[in-house]
Amino acid sequence: MALNKTKRKNNELKVALAGNPNSGKTTMFNELTGSRQHVGNWPGVTVEKKTGRDSYQNYSLEVIDLPGTYSLGAYSEDEVVARDFLTTGDYDVVLNIINSSNLDRNLYFTVQLLEMGVDLIAVLNMADEAEKKGIKIDKEKIGQLLGTPVVETVASKGRGIDSLLAETVQHRDLSEAALKIDYGSEVEDLISEVVSMLKEFDFTSQINQRWAAVKLIEHDPEAVKLLEREVGVSKAKKIKSLIAERELKAEDDFDNIIIDKKYEFINKVISESVQRPAADQEPENVSDKIDAIVTNKYLGIPIFMAVMWGIFKFTFTLGDPLIGYIEAFFEAAGGWLGGLLVGAGISPLITSFITDGIIGGVGSVLVFIPNIFLLFLAIGILEDSGYMSRAAYVMDKVMSKLGLHGKSFIPMIVGFGCNVPGVMATRTLDSKRDRIISILINPLMSCSARLPVYVVFAGALFPNHASTVVFSLYALGIVMAVIMAGIFNKILFKGERSHFVMELPPYRFPTLKGVFIHMWEKVGAFIKKAGTIIFAVVVLIWVLANLPLGVEYASAQSLIGQFGQLMAPIFEPLGFGNWQAASSLVFGILAKEVVVGTLGVVYAAGEGGLRAALTANFSPLAAYSFLTMVLLYTPCIATLGAIKSETQSWKWPIITASYLFVLAWLVSFVIYQGGMLLGIGV
Amino acid sequence: MPLAMLKPGETACIKKINGGRTAKGKLTDLGFVSGKTVKIHRSSGGPLIVGLGDNRVALGRGMAHKVIVETKGCEN
Ligand SMILES: Nc1nc2c(ncn2[C@@H]2O[C@H](COP(=O)(O)OP(=O)(O)OP(=O)(O)O)[C@@H](O)[C@H]2O)c(=O)[nH]1
Ligand SMILES: [Mg+2]
Repeated sequence: MALNKTKRKNNELKVALAGNPNSGKTTMFNELTGSRQHVGNWPGVTVEKKTGRDSYQNYSLEVIDLPGTYSLGAYSEDEVVARDFLTTGDYDVVLNIINSSNLDRNLYFTVQLLEMGVDLIAVLNMADEAEKKGIKIDKEKIGQLLGTPVVETVASKGRGIDSLLAETVQHRDLSEAALKIDYGSEVEDLISEVVSMLKEFDFTSQINQRWAAVKLIEHDPEAVKLLEREVGVSKAKKIKSLIAERELKAEDDFDNIIIDKKYEFINKVISESVQRPAADQEPENVSDKIDAIVTNKYLGIPIFMAVMWGIFKFTFTLGDPLIGYIEAFFEAAGGWLGGLLVGAGISPLITSFITDGIIGGVGSVLVFIPNIFLLFLAIGILEDSGYMSRAAYVMDKVMSKLGLHGKSFIPMIVGFGCNVPGVMATRTLDSKRDRIISILINPLMSCSARLPVYVVFAGALFPNHASTVVFSLYALGIVMAVIMAGIFNKILFKGERSHFVMELPPYRFPTLKGVFIHMWEKVGAFIKKAGTIIFAVVVLIWVLANLPLGVEYASAQSLIGQFGQLMAPIFEPLGFGNWQAASSLVFGILAKEVVVGTLGVVYAAGEGGLRAALTANFSPLAAYSFLTMVLLYTPCIATLGAIKSETQSWKWPIITASYLFVLAWLVSFVIYQGGMLLGIGV
Repeated sequence: MPLAMLKPGETACIKKINGGRTAKGKLTDLGFVSGKTVKIHRSSGGPLIVGLGDNRVALGRGMAHKVIVETKGCEN
């Protein structure tokens, strides 16, 4: 089929990966292109289109990874991305990634593509799991029945990739004719009438006309819109009333008949090409056994909390000694380099730039690599195991009290890594209202960028209770998210709730490769961030700390000092009215790690170490109040940008930024003033 | 009767899917179609977990009321 296919050179191919969620598309994409896109064992990991390149023999391939979708119905934003690309996009062939051990539901989507006339290769992925279940698929037969080439693969082990590529480059518009399913005389008669009306009305769209007719009979809103655009509202109305008229006379709804006939066709294909063991001979289902415990009414939530606590403990107890080493290294390096530079007669300004600016600022942030590394290792294992959708199931109890449902919990877990993908993950929710609420509360999930701030303060001021203090912040974030979701649910808008249906994939052993790819990607991003935005801000702050010329470095008279003093009164009632804290918060909006970077520069931490400076300048109570502020206040610009682009309006990022600042201020105020009254930590 | 009324361990045959376009479409997408056998794995106040063949699907109570089943089981 040629939709908007542009002319390409003979040896260039544009290949799209499409299929049900969690069927292994991104795993395949990474395998083909050498990319490191996010893979996870739950439906809805990929929510946007990604492009990569591959070459095979003398062919050059452009490969596109799409969000997973169960049909072309497109009920949520991620599915719209896939549907729009598949129905109007520019591509040569679709690699339809199919979960072999779940053929009937996967083929429901395949059949829809084939009816549309898409050139596709049926990729029977997860062949290993089908084998384990004793499912035998006759490839030749299934290919013959569907009219497509068939390749068997195990994307996670790289099996079958070569044959897939060989098939892909050979595949050239073989099947001009789209698949035709017999919908029974009643519907078929109507289809032919609608098709002839489409012809009469000059429906010139490149779309297959039979397919368009079926879509119209199903009352597909996109098809109706397209028709109205193409032939005008009045002619479109004629077709619509013909369909309505027939529907009145019919016994069953046409869309029911169409669905049933599709499944009838699929069942026929499967019965002729697939063999599976009798029910009593099937191997026992381990996932069900795990689920019996994990999703238990009473154990579910305690187990979830234990998992979160486990991740947290893992990140800290293993990370702490490592941080100590790196910190010691940077301090030693700062001192040694400083001495060396001064000794060599290098100007004090340059010495200060290197020790206070680079080592004090960027170094203070880089110290936390071990934590970032461990946190993402743990998140990677969690995501690959299949537990994510169970957590969503278990948390439904809490979420439904807030007018949301369990699926809204997945973006929140993603937010613990970073709020930008967290905000994007809300695309899988099918109601606008649920999406907006989920977006608004996502920044309350404490992301990895805030971790360095907590760790450095907790280590300096609560050396004996560091991990309890940090864990309390994570918990505070969740509690605030719950409260705010409840409030937004009441005041914001009524509107339809999302529909809660979610697949629970089988538990899978996290692959070393999958987990490490994820982790390296994140650690790499962290280092890159340290080398770019954090570096740039730190340099800026160092410059501001040295201006106006001749001022004492990082004194209250320097530009940064003056700026901080301007802001400080806002934070005075919260216990940290010093200019250093104030300016670090303001710059922290650029990226939350910058809070640490700024403090590192203004306290000249390259020499004495940041912890000592913090102990000297903050009381434990003020520090806890400051950390609360860092947890809750205005999200970083990247998150605000994501909110802007996801909601297509400035309204929501502005609301998010302001309500969070007010919330943060109030909570910090209560903590600090309350603590003062009770005389705790002063 | 609606799927939501069944007890854990019971199986039934799907007869009909009610509901608006989105609800019905999403259910159909996940394989809730007439003539299919469903098994209840969990049903305890909150969402259900049901088995459709090898598949496990979590289903909100509201959605489970839209799936009409017959306890007699499917013919085949
Ligand atoms: N056993 C097995 N597991 C696989 C195979 N291919 C992928 N997986 C696993 O299946 C899960 C889903 O893989 P993804 O590549 O994220 O799936 P996807 O189709 O991109 O999913 P969405 O982005 O949610 O649509 C991961 O846990 C993979 O490790 C395979 O061939 N065999
Ligand atoms: Mg994916």
